[in-house]
Amino acid sequence: MATMGFAPEINGFRVVHPLDDVAEQKCSSSGLGRIRMTRAVRISLGVLRAYLVVMTLMLGYHVLDLAGVLHKIR
Amino acid sequence: MRLMDPEVELTRSPAKGVLVRSAWQRRALTFLMVFGPGLIVMEADNDAGAVSTYMQAGGQYGLHLLWLLVVLLPICYFVQEMVARLGIATGKGHAAMIYERFGKWWGRFSLIDLLAVNFLTLITEFAAISLALGALGISPYISVPVSATGLTLMVVTGSYLRWERIVIALCLMDLSWFLLAFMVHPNWATVAHNSVVPTMPSGGISSSLVFLVIAIVGTTIAPWQLFFQQSCVAEKRLRFSDLKWARLDTLIGATFTVCVAGAMMVVGNYGFQHQVVFQDPAQLALALGPIASRFVRDGVLLLMVNAAVLGTTAISLASAWAYGEVKGWEHSLHKKLWEAPGFYATYIVCVGAAAAIVLIPHVPLQLVIISVQVFAGLILPSAIIFLQLLLNDQELLGDRWVNRSWNNYINWTIIVVLFALSLLLAAQVILPNLFQR
Repeated sequence: MATMGFAPEINGFRVVHPLDDVAEQKCSSSGLGRIRMTRAVRISLGVLRAYLVVMTLMLGYHVLDLAGVLHKIR
Repeated sequence: MRLMDPEVELTRSPAKGVLVRSAWQRRALTFLMVFGPGLIVMEADNDAGAVSTYMQAGGQYGLHLLWLLVVLLPICYFVQEMVARLGIATGKGHAAMIYERFGKWWGRFSLIDLLAVNFLTLITEFAAISLALGALGISPYISVPVSATGLTLMVVTGSYLRWERIVIALCLMDLSWFLLAFMVHPNWATVAHNSVVPTMPSGGISSSLVFLVIAIVGTTIAPWQLFFQQSCVAEKRLRFSDLKWARLDTLIGATFTVCVAGAMMVVGNYGFQHQVVFQDPAQLALALGPIASRFVRDGVLLLMVNAAVLGTTAISLASAWAYGEVKGWEHSLHKKLWEAPGFYATYIVCVGAAAAIVLIPHVPLQLVIISVQVFAGLILPSAIIFLQLLLNDQELLGDRWVNRSWNNYINWTIIVVLFALSLLLAAQVILPNLFQR
């Protein structure tokens, strides 16, 4: 349900604070389950996974470097 | 999505509210009632780390990087407008939406990463409080526990509005940065010129300049902001009709924040002009005392504390809201302490533990700062990708709330740039040898 934040009255307008107003019916995700795997969603999540793998590899390299393991190999 | 007929709705409006005579009074009052989340999320982003970054930018490169702030203004606005829109449309926080639409794996990843980066950032906020008040002669063993207690008392009153009013007052205290900027007498023509025309510092492009540019971008668009504003909008129960005012609130917040950041750079520039060498804003403030005035010195130190307090309350709330949403706990500032124990416990544990860590002697703050940058590099691109995908989720939002084509062009461009910068920043932090000339 949509509230308007104000109500016309004979002498003007009554402005209602959001916290005092009637609750709205929001867009609900209940029963929708997971997002539909469109091409854009699949590509975005794929890129995100690749990005996270690269970051993890860099972090792993840094940890090995700090531990002196790479120095020994060289 | 179902919308009730407004005529029917009007008959159900509550008797509460304020009676005004004209349409412009109605608009002005509605705006004032909606105003808050946008200003708070933006200004709290000028936290202790941001003060340090902007003053360092001014101290190292004078006024040369002012234009970058102007470029970041629309980017900040576009990202946070999406967050406000999603919060108003769904009435739920960002963490809950990621869990519901992308599943547990992505939900847990986002939540754990958010909690980690937020907690590490909180440690830096308390370190700044300790540093700034230490420079004013107050022991950390007094300043840190007193700040932590004050920050806790601020939220446990059982009233969102009380918290919001206190925080807006703290945000407005940042107006004092403009006074400090005027007191150090910059060349205003240069300020205006460098705000709109990118100029090169005398040393040309160096790795430290690139690092600082990325740090400014990372400071201005922080991952917790996405989670915070969406939860805050949901907490304030903003209505569909409030969206235009929420947008205006966000725009005012972004503009104010960028102007305050510019003022910080101007104050830092004063140190640059007088060849002051400094590691943090407290050192700069102490050095400025004899050459500017004691007022400037104390002003910078107190505003640094204000920045840290603002950052701490917003970041801790972002964590508490996100964790509460995912756990299915009561997670509202409208609730009393005993009505939402998990939510308040998360806030108090975040604040208390970060404060306690700062009091440990020889805590490795440099490691904390590096970890913040790495975790932020992980969370920001993922959170922003989820935001963009959710705002294209027709099934969830319907035609009214999804992004328009022009929104998507702008947002994908912002996302690609943020991805590249986050990767570059992380690479620079994790693999510094790659960037040494």
